[in-house]
Amino acid sequence: MGGTLGRSAPLLYAASALVAVFLLAPLVVPIAISFSDTPFVTFPPKGFTLRWYWKILNEPEFISSFRFSVMLAVIATLGSLLLGTPTAIGLVRYQFPGRAAIQSLVLSPLVFPMLVTGIALLRLFTSVNSQSSLLNLTLGHILVTVPYVVRTVSSSLALLDPSIEDAARTLGANRFETFWRVTRPQIMPGIVAGAIFAFVTSFDNYPVSMWLADAVNIPLPLMIFTLTSRFFDPGIAAIATLMILVSVALILIMERVTGLRRAMSM
Amino acid sequence: MLLVAPAVVFFVILFIVPVGTMIAFSFFRQTSTGDLAPALTLANYARLASVDLYRTVLFTTIRVSLFTTIGAMLLAYPVALVMVRGNAIVARLLAIIVIAPLLVNVVIRTYGWRVILTNSQNGVLNWILVQLGLDPVRILYTEWAIVIGSVHVFLPLMVLPLAAALGKIDPYVEEAARTLGGSAWDVFRKVTLPLSVPGLAVGSTLVFSLTSSSFVAPALLGGNFAKMLGTLVEEQIMSVFDWPFGASIATVLIVIVLAINFAYVRLVERRFPTRITPVM
Repeated sequence: MGGTLGRSAPLLYAASALVAVFLLAPLVVPIAISFSDTPFVTFPPKGFTLRWYWKILNEPEFISSFRFSVMLAVIATLGSLLLGTPTAIGLVRYQFPGRAAIQSLVLSPLVFPMLVTGIALLRLFTSVNSQSSLLNLTLGHILVTVPYVVRTVSSSLALLDPSIEDAARTLGANRFETFWRVTRPQIMPGIVAGAIFAFVTSFDNYPVSMWLADAVNIPLPLMIFTLTSRFFDPGIAAIATLMILVSVALILIMERVTGLRRAMSM
Repeated sequence: MLLVAPAVVFFVILFIVPVGTMIAFSFFRQTSTGDLAPALTLANYARLASVDLYRTVLFTTIRVSLFTTIGAMLLAYPVALVMVRGNAIVARLLAIIVIAPLLVNVVIRTYGWRVILTNSQNGVLNWILVQLGLDPVRILYTEWAIVIGSVHVFLPLMVLPLAAALGKIDPYVEEAARTLGGSAWDVFRKVTLPLSVPGLAVGSTLVFSLTSSSFVAPALLGGNFAKMLGTLVEEQIMSVFDWPFGASIATVLIVIVLAINFAYVRLVERRFPTRITPVM
């Protein structure tokens, strides 16, 4: 299929190619530099070495931050699914007063400046003297990841015929059985997409974490931010390369599970 | 009703109440001992508007957000057109290239731009310029560096709604315009562009709001030389511990975002009943 771009097609393809270069450049350049056998970042890279990878994989601060971020993202994702899935079902399946308002409320962290959400949470946690940074970060991350779960699960539910659930109920299943054995398997793509979004949003979060982290529990993005102003060798580029590989893996999973473009438009 | 109750409680306690309290704080006064006194004063806002240093930050924020939005529109248009109407394989590849950066950490992407824009001869951009026989430029730690980094971070949020809007245009409408004698440029200007306004509006709303309240890009690419509200509020709360002033900056950020969203609803949603759902 040649497309329907008409005579301006070559121009549009050329412009798109330039934009693609612009989008990929800041991802490709650190990969190239991470193998550079020079004590500082320089372009073009010189020589070939894997020592920067060796160095960062033996950097205890990097490893502990990575572990902490994975743990935080897993807990936040689970919390988000537990809170978001019933909310989506309630919003899609039932009519009640204030439904539209509640829907806007649970989706609002998406449009609300996250930096400000973080400041407000810091103030709250300070005033109730909540000193566990893990707990504070978890609550903050659940708040900003729930909207993704609500949205992806809602769009899965909207495709589902409610009469199938009615049939299950008529045949004697209770509410929970109906959910677990009829609804859940069918909205699984929405749950998985929501979980991936929640995980990525939490794992990559900066603007909420920056207010709630302490000196012990430092999420990975904050750690990398600090390292960029402390190290000037290609070690940071090696970290960047590893993080990009993690993202590529996530993209492939997403493409397999729901299709990337469909997932993004949920 | 019971199903949504936990989420409602959660959001009231962790979102509505804290944000409300924070806005209230912006009208407080901090005493010399560091205590907060409810004074119902506008002094914090007056300070933001009257002190030169802070006013500069406010204007920088608006300027950078505006240029980022315009830059994103210009880059997004050809890409969205190809994604919707181009060759199927190219369109799919382009979609992946556009969406993929969204899943790469903002700190990593911004670090990539630092390496490219470094002011010395070691920077990628300057290396290319020198190879071409041109003079190296100093662009890191300027507003332009923030604009470039922000366009990169937020471009997907412009492309996706725009592609959705373009996809809804009936090709026969454009076909008709062509048949009636319109040149390619006329058809674009008078048919395609107006019909894609809802997508551009959603994208602009997202890009402007997110740029104005961003922290990582201004901190790593603007440094101390090009501050934005995001970096200023961090400094005021984390280093100066001036909570009321910090809260007033945060409130200004909320007002900017609400104003943009309100403008979007007033100008676009009423005229174009079909809604394009914003992505992410």
